[in-house]
Amino acid sequence: MTDAPRRRFDTRDIARIAVFAALIAALGLIAPIPVPGLVPITAQTLGIILAGMVLGAWRGAAAVLVFELLVLVGLPLLAGGHGGAASFVGVTAGYLIGWIPGAFVTGLIAHSGRGRIAAWRVALGGLVGGVLVVYACGIPVQAAVTGLPLGAAALTSLAFVPGDLIKITVATIITLALWRAYPPVFGTRRHRHAEEPATAQPVTR
Amino acid sequence: MIALHVPGDSVLHRAPAGIKLLALFVLALAVSLYPHDLPSLGAAVGVVVALHLAALLPPTTLPKQLWQTKWIVVVMVATQLAFLTPWDALVNTVRVVSIVLLAGLLTLTTRSEDLLEALETGLRPLTRIGVDPRRVGLTLSLAIAMLPVVAGIAARVRDTERARGVRLGPRLVVPVLVLALRHADDVADALTARGVD
Repeated sequence: MTDAPRRRFDTRDIARIAVFAALIAALGLIAPIPVPGLVPITAQTLGIILAGMVLGAWRGAAAVLVFELLVLVGLPLLAGGHGGAASFVGVTAGYLIGWIPGAFVTGLIAHSGRGRIAAWRVALGGLVGGVLVVYACGIPVQAAVTGLPLGAAALTSLAFVPGDLIKITVATIITLALWRAYPPVFGTRRHRHAEEPATAQPVTR
Repeated sequence: MIALHVPGDSVLHRAPAGIKLLALFVLALAVSLYPHDLPSLGAAVGVVVALHLAALLPPTTLPKQLWQTKWIVVVMVATQLAFLTPWDALVNTVRVVSIVLLAGLLTLTTRSEDLLEALETGLRPLTRIGVDPRRVGLTLSLAIAMLPVVAGIAARVRDTERARGVRLGPRLVVPVLVLALRHADDVADALTARGVD
């Protein structure tokens, strides 16, 4: 139901991918919300999850890839003004790489409803793509880089889970609101939702 | 373009971006995989310092770069001492910090434009599996152009909501998303009108 794998991105797709990459960067500008006793929550990963939820698997993953290429070539777009190739060789490298398949899987599940966006699918997509897939990529790399046993690395990343759950909730609320406000962006064809008002009915709660 | 690049005229500044990217990759792999002892660890640190000197950067650059790795050091040492021997913790930390510093040096001595161009060149072999390097380049430069636009939209929405006395929260993101994605559609129309397909 999402954009087909072999299909080339048209100009509209390219513009949306570029804008979403810039949105992920803009979300990194928001000051981290400190959580007492836990790791501060940054809004950047919210952008990663949103990319998958809104743009779907292929375009969402492409937006994250574009964002990360800009970070790689030296733009300070990661939360806290970080950037450069150094971000891709440190402890967190696996998580950064994991954002790409993470957004893909999020989009795959969130857009699996044959043109309809339902809260439970969006939230499930965020949970599986934004948390499970990202951690599955991040924890082994973290363990390899730091030389920690896998279990210990997994333990240190548990601190991020509460923040991630909050972000999935927020991203789901935003996605459903956007589905009501501007449905065309969820499909690849230009006016699909406008032409078929029956399928444009938001399915919420 | 806002970037972490520091202009200069050293050998490292003048070397082609693609070569530097490859060299970083090879060096990072070598430092990661070599089973370290004290001399090899010293050599790794020596290479990092020597390359920074060769780049003829301001003398405060390396200490500043090192200071930026402080959280990596704190997190690594703290978690590793709990599970590994102090020697392993030292080796791992020095290893990771030196690779991060090398990658930082690439960013310091290379313009983003040059790296983007190197990436586009590197993608050329992928043409066979359907990747169009020019479209990738277009998407990347479009995204760079969108950065200030999206930041501007976000600032405008924030001011509007504040003036209305609306409580600022996650819902603020929705109007920003709508305006930004509408803008994307306008840009797409403009590109199509100019014959970019």
